[in-house]
Amino acid sequence: MMIIRSSDQVPRTTLLKRFPVPRNLGVGPESRIGRGKTWPALAGAVRVKAFEIYRYDPDSDDNPRLDTFEVDLDDCGPMVLDALIWIKNKVDPTLTFRRSCREGICGSCAMTMDGTNWLACTRFISDMAAPATVYPLANMRIIKDLVPDLTHVFAQYAMIEPWLQTRTPEPERERPQSPEERSRLDGYYECILCFCCTSGCPSHWWNGDRFLGPAALLQAYRWLADSRDEATGERLDILEDPFRLYRCHTILNCTRTCPKGLNPGKAIAEIKKMVLERRT
Amino acid sequence: MMPTSPAKRPRPLSPNIQIYRPQLTSVLSIANRISGVVLSLGAVVLVIWLLAAAAGPEAYAVVQGALASWLGQVVLFGCTFAFFLHLCGGIRHLVWDMGYGYELSLIYASGWAVVAGSVALTVLAWIASLLLGD
Amino acid sequence: MDRQHMRSPLARAMGLGSAKKGVEHWWAERVLAVALIPLTLWFVASIIAQTGSDHATFITWLRMPVTTIMMVLLLVALFHHTALGPQVVIEDYRHAGSKFAALVIMRLTCFGLATAGIIAVLHIAFGG
Repeated sequence: MMIIRSSDQVPRTTLLKRFPVPRNLGVGPESRIGRGKTWPALAGAVRVKAFEIYRYDPDSDDNPRLDTFEVDLDDCGPMVLDALIWIKNKVDPTLTFRRSCREGICGSCAMTMDGTNWLACTRFISDMAAPATVYPLANMRIIKDLVPDLTHVFAQYAMIEPWLQTRTPEPERERPQSPEERSRLDGYYECILCFCCTSGCPSHWWNGDRFLGPAALLQAYRWLADSRDEATGERLDILEDPFRLYRCHTILNCTRTCPKGLNPGKAIAEIKKMVLERRT
Repeated sequence: MMPTSPAKRPRPLSPNIQIYRPQLTSVLSIANRISGVVLSLGAVVLVIWLLAAAAGPEAYAVVQGALASWLGQVVLFGCTFAFFLHLCGGIRHLVWDMGYGYELSLIYASGWAVVAGSVALTVLAWIASLLLGD
Repeated sequence: MDRQHMRSPLARAMGLGSAKKGVEHWWAERVLAVALIPLTLWFVASIIAQTGSDHATFITWLRMPVTTIMMVLLLVALFHHTALGPQVVIEDYRHAGSKFAALVIMRLTCFGLATAGIIAVLHIAFGG
């Protein structure tokens, strides 16, 4: 169990805010980001914080842009999601983003804030740089504003067949599992499929069409580790591939960014160990 | 999901490396890769050096002279640092591949250990080389 | 592009299916990495000890049986590891047909360099 103490697991102090590459390096013409407009704070606001937010309107012919919103912190809750809701209610009702539970369990409001992925509902505004930057999840096709198209990563999730598979005829009552066997799922079953890890993985940036990515692989291990499952071999067959599994180079941006404190990197290492074990 | 009509332009791709924060995890990963590529080029120098030694004292003297030059020393220093970085980083990867060291605190501790270790070993190697060379 | 768009998301994610291979490459790279730890450390220590030595001293050193054996082992492990590592780098960043050309050139270069290095060492060790 992980209790979220701060809105990040390790201090985010770094020498560089971003890699020293041109802003639009290798970017297709439709993805180039332009300058947007500034929405100044309302008169009378005392504590003001600027948010630079990625905007994209699919109904116009315009490219994505970066709008600046000045948020009145005395009128707004403590989390980045509160700021987004405040902007939508008070400044620009067209600002679009996914949100539901506002307590870190639904995984809807995953986005790239100040250069790392997290849930907007569990990141404190006070932890954000000035100006704060909010982008949709990195390396995703964007439907509108902060709403990414997750079709492909969910298709990759479907590929690992995330359900219990058995051959033994269904028992009259439950399928028994010892407490020890059950505990092997701890740290894996809690995944909320926010795709913070997959979106933050450089290997998935360059080979996302073939590499399954940390989220799908962590889920794959959750079923490999399940003592009740009877399809371990078939599951490993699906995974053992130079791209699907072995494109993971243990960069560990995934473990670094998981807002649930899970460890996709460790899960992938366990899969690699299983594949090796059945060959030697 | 709504089907995209062919007339519509493709959806933009949200930025990745352009905005994602460099952190110890990704920086050491790319450093391990770059040092590996540098060492591949160093391996070419190694073969040239052996071929020159096999060819005779004259050829060997030419290669030794090139390596002793200002540029040669810079290349050798770069190769030394790349070697120790790749060595320390590689050992860190081997430990990970055995399934250990994945706690975030250990990932950061081992990462900084790799940085400190490779710098220290490079300096030590060059001090030893300079002392023996005189 | 249009035909690609008509495929289901799952079909696109599945692509050409699983190679059901990959562990051998991954395992060989790690076995060679383990072998290279002592071999490269021996090599670097020896080179430091050989700093500034002339041709005759160097040849005498290389002719010692232990040195010859270690040097050949180093070259074999080094260039095998060097063939496997950059293969992944090329596969990561090159996606067009140029990938296959780059992979062939890289692999053949490694074979050539390893052979040249080993022959040079053996020539020194057993030559007149």
